[in-house]
Amino acid sequence: MTRKARLLVAVLCALVSAPAIAVVIMHIPAFGRHPLPYGDAINHTAGAQRHVTNMVSAVNFDYRAFDTLGEELMLVAAVTGTLVLLRGRRGESLSDRAAQAGNRPVCERSEAVTLACRFFLPLITTFGIYVILHAQLTPGGGFQGGAIVASGTLLLYLGESYRLWRRLVRSRLLDMLEAAGALVLVLCGLGPMARGGAFLQNVLQLGQTGALLSGGLILVENAGVALAVTAGFILLLLEFLEETRATCEGEGP
Amino acid sequence: MRGRGAVSFVPWATVAWLFAVGIYGVITSRHYVHLIGCLTVIQSATYIALLSVGYRFGSVAPIFYTRPPSTPAVDPVLQALVLTDIVVGATVTALLLALTLQVHKKRGTVNPERLRPMRQ
Repeated sequence: MTRKARLLVAVLCALVSAPAIAVVIMHIPAFGRHPLPYGDAINHTAGAQRHVTNMVSAVNFDYRAFDTLGEELMLVAAVTGTLVLLRGRRGESLSDRAAQAGNRPVCERSEAVTLACRFFLPLITTFGIYVILHAQLTPGGGFQGGAIVASGTLLLYLGESYRLWRRLVRSRLLDMLEAAGALVLVLCGLGPMARGGAFLQNVLQLGQTGALLSGGLILVENAGVALAVTAGFILLLLEFLEETRATCEGEGP
Repeated sequence: MRGRGAVSFVPWATVAWLFAVGIYGVITSRHYVHLIGCLTVIQSATYIALLSVGYRFGSVAPIFYTRPPSTPAVDPVLQALVLTDIVVGATVTALLLALTLQVHKKRGTVNPERLRPMRQ
């Protein structure tokens, strides 16, 4: 379709849906002053019921863990789709550089960059693990911490070399870790059923509120999510970096 | 309490603006990477919409590590929704970008207007 045709269709669609949009706008609740029945129910009861202090994690990994399972499988499916599309066109051999843009000269890596990366890599990784481990207590969890840890590994490439990053990031191991993360979540659902409980029922010891080991099954599910997100994000980074790099000789297309 | 009527209009207006700008970008896009960027702008509108619905004046984050559970707090359900929204959005964006790369390799263009239906 040409640009004009697309705009025309869009304007027609907007005109057709305008009355419905107007009705919705008239009925938008007053900002910040309307009742939040479900949120209040969780806020008031989850602490006593599940011995956790982070209510977002209680929703994600316990009360609505079923949704998280579906969302986790969606994440794995999206990562798998990306890998299928990109992998197979790259070789397995190691290269020194990620990408080379035309004839642009490649600058030497400055020592300041290397120093900064060596300083920040352990800090960022530690912070990511801290965020993962404290999912049930303070803001954080497997999703956020996994993304932090995965992005932090890029500092290896930035500060050391592409070859080192590539040598440490093993796609076969990461494939397995990502699948294992999804498997942990599924087993968390099926495990309680084997004992006669409901799917994803929190059957483990809840522990003491405020302790690192509290929340029962929330801990296990959080670990599974952290595993899948970390491995999935590193795999995405790897495939996109490989995609941009110039192929060596005798490596296929 | 005075003056909050005007303030309470801002989040919804931001949502509408982001959504409209994103849709316009998608409609008039001439490059798939630009189109994917516009999609993420639309998605940002959903984040703000969800967080605005769950907001409540004079309340804290739904973390009770240092507070009693009776403290008024915002809605954790919507925050959990936004959290999963962001993570899945990031991976789906990666998938779309991978598709764009493949389209570029196969057809030599990433302009939606120049692409014609594939033939057997």
